Amino acid sequence: VKPCWILCAFLFSLSRSDGEEQVGQGEQKSSPARPSFGKKQLPSIPKNAVPITKAASPAPSTQSANGTHASYGPFYLEYSLLAEFTLVIKQKLPGIYVQPSYRSALMWFGVIFIRHGLYQDGVFKFTVYIPDNYPDGDCPRVVFDTPVFHPLVDPVSGAGVRRAFTKWRRNHNHIWQVLMYARTVFYKINTMDPLNPEAAVLYDKDIQLFKSKVVDSVKLCNSHLFDQPKIDDPYAISFSPWNPAVHEEAKEKMFAHKRRPEDYNKGLPVSGLSWVKPGSTQPFSKEDNPLQT
Amino acid sequence: MTSMVANGTRGDQSLVLKGVDPETCMIVFKNHWAQVVKILEKHDPLRSIVGGLGGGHGLGGGGGLGSFRFGPVPGDEASAVQNYVEHMLFLLMEEECGQNGAMGPILEFVVMENVLERLFIWSLRREFTDDMKLEQLKMYEMLIGQARQPLLHHKPVLKPLMMLLSSCSGSPSGSSSSAVETELVLLLNQLCCVLAKDPSVLELFFHTSEDQGAANFLIFSLLIPFIHREGSVGQQARDALLLIMALSAENHVVAKHIAENTYFCPVLATGLSGLYSSLPTKLDVPSEEWHCLHREDWQQLPALVQFLNSLEFCNAVIQVAHPSTRDQLVGYIHNGFLVPVLAPALHKLTLEEVMTTTAYLDLFIRSISEPALLHTFLSFILLHRHDNVHILDTLVSRINTPFQLGTVSLALFRTLIGLFCEDVMLQLVFKYLIPCNHMMLSQRRVLRERDCYSVSAAKFLALTPSCCSPEVIPPPLRKLDSILWSKGTDGSHIGTMESKEVLSEEDDCGNSCVIGSEIYLDVSYLHYLYDAQNSISHCMRACRVWSAPYDGENPPPEEYQRNTLEEADLTATPGLLELEWDDSYDACPTQLHPEEDQETRPIPDEPPKHIQELRRTAIMIVKGSYIEESEFQNDVMVYNLVAQKDAHDSAAKQEMLDESVTDQKTTNSESSISNGLSSPLDEMDSKKRGSQSNHKSLEGEDLVAQYEELIRTLGAQHSPAKTDSELKSPTDLMDEEEDEIDFNSFSPETPEAEKLPSPFGTKPRSGSRGHAVPFTGPFLSVLLSRLENMPSNSLHVNLLLTGILAQLAAYPQPLLRSFLLNTNMVFQPSVRSLYQVLASVKNQIEQCSANNKDFPELLTAAQHCLLARESSLRGQTDRIKTKPNIQPKTVVPLNKTEVYAAVLFTEFLKELAAFAQEHSILSHLPTEQ
Repeated sequence: VKPCWILCAFLFSLSRSDGEEQVGQGEQKSSPARPSFGKKQLPSIPKNAVPITKAASPAPSTQSANGTHASYGPFYLEYSLLAEFTLVIKQKLPGIYVQPSYRSALMWFGVIFIRHGLYQDGVFKFTVYIPDNYPDGDCPRVVFDTPVFHPLVDPVSGAGVRRAFTKWRRNHNHIWQVLMYARTVFYKINTMDPLNPEAAVLYDKDIQLFKSKVVDSVKLCNSHLFDQPKIDDPYAISFSPWNPAVHEEAKEKMFAHKRRPEDYNKGLPVSGLSWVKPGSTQPFSKEDNPLQT
Repeated sequence: MTSMVANGTRGDQSLVLKGVDPETCMIVFKNHWAQVVKILEKHDPLRSIVGGLGGGHGLGGGGGLGSFRFGPVPGDEASAVQNYVEHMLFLLMEEECGQNGAMGPILEFVVMENVLERLFIWSLRREFTDDMKLEQLKMYEMLIGQARQPLLHHKPVLKPLMMLLSSCSGSPSGSSSSAVETELVLLLNQLCCVLAKDPSVLELFFHTSEDQGAANFLIFSLLIPFIHREGSVGQQARDALLLIMALSAENHVVAKHIAENTYFCPVLATGLSGLYSSLPTKLDVPSEEWHCLHREDWQQLPALVQFLNSLEFCNAVIQVAHPSTRDQLVGYIHNGFLVPVLAPALHKLTLEEVMTTTAYLDLFIRSISEPALLHTFLSFILLHRHDNVHILDTLVSRINTPFQLGTVSLALFRTLIGLFCEDVMLQLVFKYLIPCNHMMLSQRRVLRERDCYSVSAAKFLALTPSCCSPEVIPPPLRKLDSILWSKGTDGSHIGTMESKEVLSEEDDCGNSCVIGSEIYLDVSYLHYLYDAQNSISHCMRACRVWSAPYDGENPPPEEYQRNTLEEADLTATPGLLELEWDDSYDACPTQLHPEEDQETRPIPDEPPKHIQELRRTAIMIVKGSYIEESEFQNDVMVYNLVAQKDAHDSAAKQEMLDESVTDQKTTNSESSISNGLSSPLDEMDSKKRGSQSNHKSLEGEDLVAQYEELIRTLGAQHSPAKTDSELKSPTDLMDEEEDEIDFNSFSPETPEAEKLPSPFGTKPRSGSRGHAVPFTGPFLSVLLSRLENMPSNSLHVNLLLTGILAQLAAYPQPLLRSFLLNTNMVFQPSVRSLYQVLASVKNQIEQCSANNKDFPELLTAAQHCLLARESSLRGQTDRIKTKPNIQPKTVVPLNKTEVYAAVLFTEFLKELAAFAQEHSILSHLPTEQ
């Protein structure tokens, strides 16, 4: 059975994020929603909320980064994370997909597809937890939903790959690097400072046994692929068996999306004007056709 | 006798005819016609010739018409014919098509017997009066409008119709009664509708016209005189013409005919000039707040309504017409309206007239939408030189004018910036930023960097004056608008949510995933983010058609610099350097076109006449000898206040600059009296002067001495000008102004005159050095300079200024974005950044607040006033939907400008911060390409 993922719809919606309404799940009417990245934004105003008279309580953690008004701290955090997220998209990491959760920008859902090597055909879901004093805190944590058998993945909690960034430095470290690292460890096995000492020892001592354990582990992980997401969140990544009624349309959209730039321009009236010849810095320098079409 | 034809009571007839079999109809028709023919022949001595006419040869010209007249027709016979004809027409109209689209028998008979032509000749045979024309016109109108089968394909129908139309055009215009005109236009409109539905008829019309001798598209030519007519006749004519225009787009022959053989385009374009001349040259400005012509304003002015109708018609024609027509029309509009009419109107002698023209121009640009027409207007503004000065430069220089001209000019630029036109933005902003001279060399590579951690936003928000900080003064409605922000930390704790998570969150936020600290946020900032996102993405979409990204690499800064330097050498003729009234005229010499060079090359030693004139007017205002309006006294006072305020600002600047620039003193007195342009200009000016005119320095020192004296007498403390001036009467101020002017020894003939203060912003500035000295261009400079005066600006000026800057902040081009929004950029010392200006405003506000213990209460009250104002405007803007309606408890008078400015400033900071934050996401989205 070939899985098709909710992710498709998400990626589609993401790609259209500059301006169009998101195909968001659980869109709330009362929300002051921003169309794009809408649900990674702040939660909506509770409809029946009692007017809150309590003065803003400046939380120490939010005053941190820029040392200005505490009340704007969350906005800086949100936008820093959005910036990180757009960086991730920009990197086009092969086989890795993430999306921030509906509830909080500090929690991202992800899935990684291993295409060759020992872990070939593995599909591992994970969650990224970002410290709330980002970018001045620790390295974001990656926790696999099912603890895959790997020297750098904790066999109980599923936590892994933290090791690569002992100290998180703003401006230098980015979340895409964490994801990239998470991907790399499945291709190039490293047994230093293992979180799963058994796996590490086995890899070094008995590669055949290690391999067979990995195969079992990959099978186990993939057998849980269609389980309900561990975290109940509208934006959690969930897999379901291929169902043409549900997925065919999304798939078509996905492929159609490749021709997007032209479609996009056709659909909307182009409101800008230009009669500047490319390469020129003179106004009205387009000679051949001075009249824009 | 006044007949069903006239009344058009068709409904009754069709009821009568229903169920009558076609054969009976045919018999009736033939009988009637036989009766008619009897009468016709009885009175027609040229019976034999009629047959000849039926053969299809033309009338032989209008001159021949008279020859048919032969003795009076008795009234009873005329009315008998009329009655028969009416019945016949109804029968014809009601007849259905034959099989396979063949003619019905009645139509066939009409065609065979040439009925309609003979009837037309019959009406000529009688007195061809207006009544007769009306009768005939109505007959055709009814036939064409209501017939059930196509009639116009048949020459025996078409030809008499053309003859009728021809005879209507033959009569000298004016002689026809308005009733005939109305009917004629109605019929023409109807014909055009038929044409639009069935373009094949167009050919017939066209060729029939040719049969008439002249290659004359009669329907079209007949409509042209009604192009600019007011009321429904004009509207119908324009609608009809538009239909033809749309047809001509597909039909090259017709298009060529229109362009080559008709006066359509010239009539249309010069008509604009005619209509423009009947517009009021001065508008009655309703209030001080007024700055542009809204619908409610122009609907009160019939002349303006008429002009706009014609302008909109031009727009519509350009939209649908064949390219040849379109090109011809825009050419005529440029050469027949913009250059000869609008350009001089923009340079009239009085402030009121100039302001009015500016408001018109703004309205016109807002009224048109077709790129080709916008191209015409914009290239007029950007490239046309009136008395050697680009219109754009003149307009920019007026932003700094006191009085309403400055505000109206601002509104015009708001419109221009809102067009997202690369050419406009290039001339206004980018050509000054492309060389990257305004920033430190090391900054060029930082230009495109993204602000990952909202550092700039934080810096903007940190400028919030302490008196306006949300902790100190909670905005009146915040408690309703605050939101709960929760930090979801560890997912493992969140799994307890129920499946109805969407509902549960609305029901009770206590049950939702609240973990960690809770913070109540100002929801208004969310709105700013939302708005910023909308305007940035809109702007980004619009700018996709632009030729370059303006990112500091494309266009390449080096190349551009080289060009401008070369040009600077070219233009550095002695004559040009003497031009000191405004460097913006030649700040970008590269825009000279070869052909323009020839016209402009012998640059006059004197500034253009209109500048001189304006300046003379200005001087007279200052001297009090300028009496135009009864309330001019107020204007004088306003001007004096502005001048005085500027004097304060400049004094402060001078102190700073004196240290760094040694030869500054020679000129500072002059530049400082001008309209408070920011220091880069002053410095540029002084550097240039210092280098080339040392001989002036003695005199200059003298000037500075007097200037400082003057400042002393004005009281050189840096308090807002208004509080000072309230103590002084206008006449006192004027006396002081007299002193100020005296030392400039004004005389319009000498070059010295050019250094006089002028309220038109045509201040002394240097010539072609523009790009050698860091400079972000006159437009940005003047905006920032006005922004710096925020505390003393009126509310509406501040709204305009912040609105324009917010609009500029939406542009995604890194050159502009980094200049406005990147607070980490390091600019050249002489370049003032938005952030610096805002910091200066913050200080002014802090000072106001410190000096006035009532400030906090006033602030709260002003917030209430502004919220009330907003909710009253909400119907129009629909920007913020969740604000409840509120009435301000106390109204803060609008002259407490510093209080309103403080509120607005705080909101503006949020707006800018929101733009900075959204840019950090949107401008870097990988999907933007």
